[in-house]
Amino acid sequence: MESRAEATQPQFRSGEMGFEFDEINGLFSGPPEAGGSSFTALLELPSPQAVELLVKEDFPVKHPPPPIFPSDFGLIDRASKFSVFASAGNPHESNANSIYSLLKLESVKQEPLGSDSHPNSSSPAVSNQSLKSGKRKDREKRVKESSKKSKNVVGNEALEDDGEKLPYVHVRARRGQATDSHSLAERARREKINARMKLLQELVPGCDKISGTAMVLDEIINHVQALQRQVEFLSMRLAAVDPRVDFNLDALMATEGGSSFDNGYTGIFPPPMYPDGQASSTRLLQYPQQWHCHELHQLGWPTREDDSSNFINPENSLLSYGSSGNSASMHSNQVKMEL
Amino acid sequence: MRNSAQLRHEFLKAWIKSLKIYSNLKKNMSISHRKNAIKLSADVAIASITQKAKPSASSHRWTQSLMADAASSDDGTNRIFVEQTLGYKLGNRKKSPTTGLMTKCSKKILRNNIRVFLGKSRKRTTPKHAKAGSIIANKGVEKRTRLLKRLVPGGEDMDEISLMEEALDYIALLQVQRDVLKQVAAVAESLRNLKSVN
Repeated sequence: MESRAEATQPQFRSGEMGFEFDEINGLFSGPPEAGGSSFTALLELPSPQAVELLVKEDFPVKHPPPPIFPSDFGLIDRASKFSVFASAGNPHESNANSIYSLLKLESVKQEPLGSDSHPNSSSPAVSNQSLKSGKRKDREKRVKESSKKSKNVVGNEALEDDGEKLPYVHVRARRGQATDSHSLAERARREKINARMKLLQELVPGCDKISGTAMVLDEIINHVQALQRQVEFLSMRLAAVDPRVDFNLDALMATEGGSSFDNGYTGIFPPPMYPDGQASSTRLLQYPQQWHCHELHQLGWPTREDDSSNFINPENSLLSYGSSGNSASMHSNQVKMEL
Repeated sequence: MRNSAQLRHEFLKAWIKSLKIYSNLKKNMSISHRKNAIKLSADVAIASITQKAKPSASSHRWTQSLMADAASSDDGTNRIFVEQTLGYKLGNRKKSPTTGLMTKCSKKILRNNIRVFLGKSRKRTTPKHAKAGSIIANKGVEKRTRLLKRLVPGGEDMDEISLMEEALDYIALLQVQRDVLKQVAAVAESLRNLKSVN
């Protein structure tokens, strides 16, 4: 039972986004104490490490936790994507803030880029002292040092919102490419779009192999449509089930302890509003498992779920925990461990 | 750092809460009604946990448009329900006019026009057919971005970059919704089967 629980556990954890969160966890575990300022995070990093981080292929590989380093465009975007769900887990609170402010790094333009110790630009950029660029395009061109020009694209927009409006975009033109402001701005925009496209590719399964924006967008659209359809069908399925069976969680949440289980079961739909938010959350944790266990005990059923094979794995593992201990507190502890 | 399991859990809580509110408001719903209720409460739950998770994310268009859609449906009870769940009053949101309609051209006409145009222009040094090819490719991309805009709620008047960010969040949350619904539906069905066995 235990082994099965453990076997199912990683399966549950590595959901669609599971492994990526591990990467981000690795990212977070090296906290820059700089807190909210992304820029000091930059400065902490010595340049060889920076160069290493700039290589995107290293990212999935877990190296000893790299500090949060925003130079990689894709890194920022990944981070920003995950930052939507970045929690208020307290040790990570400052990190979450700094990740989000890293998103703003795109917009904050490197004010004091005058210092050569800026690790972001791996090229010493001896040629351009005046215009320091902090841009992530360097990632591809960092070996080419000579004959680079950099240019500022000035857009006087507010810094406030989503980080898309930039006062300054420091962009480094690549060798042999046009350097007028239009093409540079275009290129910056294209790079942004490509970075986000990469993130989308990772999120949608099966998109990595496809090359070409149009096909990837096709896949994304199909995926969104499929998800929407699935949600629709699932809600239809749920609606078709007898509501009495369904909403018993509510009854359970309202009642105290599992003893009045029978009453709760034939229960009324719906009970009055549950006032206490805090307690309800823990009860919600406990009751589904108790519910299954008691239900099955009543029916003389072994607590292993055999035929309900479409129980998703967490339910199974939670059930296995439930069979071992019966006290409510133990349940909640176990469930908390589980989750 | 919230992982997907935590998200699912939060969604489940919020969803059940909103379901309760809804069923308090309305009794004796028919099946289709119930389905809509489920979906609606799920959407609202999603929006509320997004707001909780990241306060700035509530500026995401899709949360707002979700709520606007929810609030503007047939009866006023929906609006009350949504407001109760979220805990604040929704402002009346007008639908902004859709951005300009693209006229349809066939690819061939387009290509010829582009070639002519490029022939006249002297600014670019890149060869013309290469440019025409990329423009055609971009047309395909544009069509699909338009599709995506229609799919993602609130995506109509967004620029491409933020559209993709919204799409990212939307996809992630759709997945959460789907997973939790799948679990709950499976549980409910098997329980019903258990009941019918006895």
